[in-house]
Amino acid sequence: MISIVKRVLLTFLLLLLSSLAVFAAIRLSGGDVTAARLPASATAQDRAAFREQIGLNKPILTQYVDYLGKVVKGDLGNSLTNNAKISTLAVDKIKNSLILGGAAIVLVFGIGIPLGMLAAFRRNSWLDTSISSASVAGMAIPNFWLALLVVWLFSSTLGWFPSAGQGGIKYLVLPSIVLAAEGIALTVRMTRSAMLENLGQDFVRTLRASGLSESRIYFKHVLRNSLLPIISLAGLRVGQIVGYALVVETIFGWPGVGQILVNGVLRRDYPIVQFFSLLLVVVVTLGNLAASVGYTLANPRLRK
Amino acid sequence: MNVFQRALKNKQLVAGSILGALVLLLGIFGPLVFGDYAKQDLLMGHKPVGTPGFFFGTDALGRDLAARATFGIRISLLVAVSVTAIAVVMGTLIGLIAGYVKGTLDTVISWVVDFVWGFPLILVAVLAAASIGSGLLPVILAVGLVNTVAIARVVRGEVLGISEREYVVAAKAGGYSVGRIVLRHIVPNVIPVALVLSSYYVAVAIIAEASLSFVGLGAQPPLPSLGQMVSEGRNFLRLNHWEATIPGVIIFAMVLSVSLIGDGLRDLLDPRLRTAVERASAK
Repeated sequence: MISIVKRVLLTFLLLLLSSLAVFAAIRLSGGDVTAARLPASATAQDRAAFREQIGLNKPILTQYVDYLGKVVKGDLGNSLTNNAKISTLAVDKIKNSLILGGAAIVLVFGIGIPLGMLAAFRRNSWLDTSISSASVAGMAIPNFWLALLVVWLFSSTLGWFPSAGQGGIKYLVLPSIVLAAEGIALTVRMTRSAMLENLGQDFVRTLRASGLSESRIYFKHVLRNSLLPIISLAGLRVGQIVGYALVVETIFGWPGVGQILVNGVLRRDYPIVQFFSLLLVVVVTLGNLAASVGYTLANPRLRK
Repeated sequence: MNVFQRALKNKQLVAGSILGALVLLLGIFGPLVFGDYAKQDLLMGHKPVGTPGFFFGTDALGRDLAARATFGIRISLLVAVSVTAIAVVMGTLIGLIAGYVKGTLDTVISWVVDFVWGFPLILVAVLAAASIGSGLLPVILAVGLVNTVAIARVVRGEVLGISEREYVVAAKAGGYSVGRIVLRHIVPNVIPVALVLSSYYVAVAIIAEASLSFVGLGAQPPLPSLGQMVSEGRNFLRLNHWEATIPGVIIFAMVLSVSLIGDGLRDLLDPRLRTAVERASAK
């Protein structure tokens, strides 16, 4: 228990330090933040005045503390490009990303675990070979390329699903599959090897000797032992999905956190970049914390 | 059987190496054969594959796709392989220090390493691009940082285990110097792990570079990058899909060959690594 409490406290300390690092890095960048807002004809004085007005001339630590104070009160500032309130934008974007990311997580485990079990159950058969090869291929295809392939097949050629945008569940299908692809492939591999490892353990021999049916051993005992570590690591999948969402949301025009962050970086809209990158840093860190705590709890051997 | 004979019997390793060699040859000789990647003829846009003078056809700006794709291989491999190579050296060094010295130094290194390790490479690269601007530099920094900590993390764990073994304890009792113990007894046992892991991280780095260039935050025009070529080509899928297909297939082939080599090396060097590597790459 003590080790877990220590880890939580430590994570928050590192989170504070890393958010300060991101905050400072955005400010130390050579890029001109005024370009996003002021016209090209603005003079050097105009630009200096603008920087002063938005508080960029204060020491970074002061700005950071000010910013955190405002964030706590719900004031996230405004976008430089269209002056929209970030707090309003954020609610929408976070909701959209949660829908897409949630769908992807469901697919990762809902497809990955059964396929991995099937491959382990029928090991060394043609089924195992094709599932395993497909998962190697799934890990080798960059997801923007997979996105183009599924759009070409299911949208341009067959016309089953729309290629981009947001609306009903139809719009969710292609982006969530692409976002989940690598996670599915990884989960298949992990499930397969965990099941095979457990099938070779002594307790399986003992269960067989005591006359339990093969399917009962398989589904009750082996499955439980194999899945605990995989599911407890779900937090790591969150980090992975956050990373890929940056690309997948951009391709499919899905109006979520990933898309607004990438566009913000491209347009040098620093209040947007600042808030959404700090948000993702927090989400990924909490996901990793959940994974490390979950993994410890799921493995009695690691508990101290 | 010696290692070489076993390597030849390892299907994944052989297939991965052949595929990798083909891509490598394309990257080395392609730009020499196909000429300048920046040369354009705006009247010659969207020419199909096999147009005289343009082996793979041309893109929207009438630039030679073969010249651009093969130069793109160089950029991709340069970023992924060379930066990961540096990361392997640094990561191994950091892991060795943390795992062998232990104590407070190890605790601090482990905190930082574990924290950074959890971040997806693409997010780190986007954060880097947010602070220093788009280009290859943020990709290089992100690949270097993330791969260094990933390798340091695993090497540290291995070193902790190895330094408890009898032969290391015996060497210590025998009064050998720290340098000799580390170099002769620990490093040789850690190198295979670092080597196998590095092939996975090369694959991740290739994908990250391509993805970042695809969304416009990586290599900037006129420098050709495979990801950026796919991004430009996707607007003309109906007109000439090869503009996106050729760079896409090359990226796929590169990643596949590195992954196959990684799987093959793992089985060849130490089957015991199977689970250790799977756990480490399970991020």
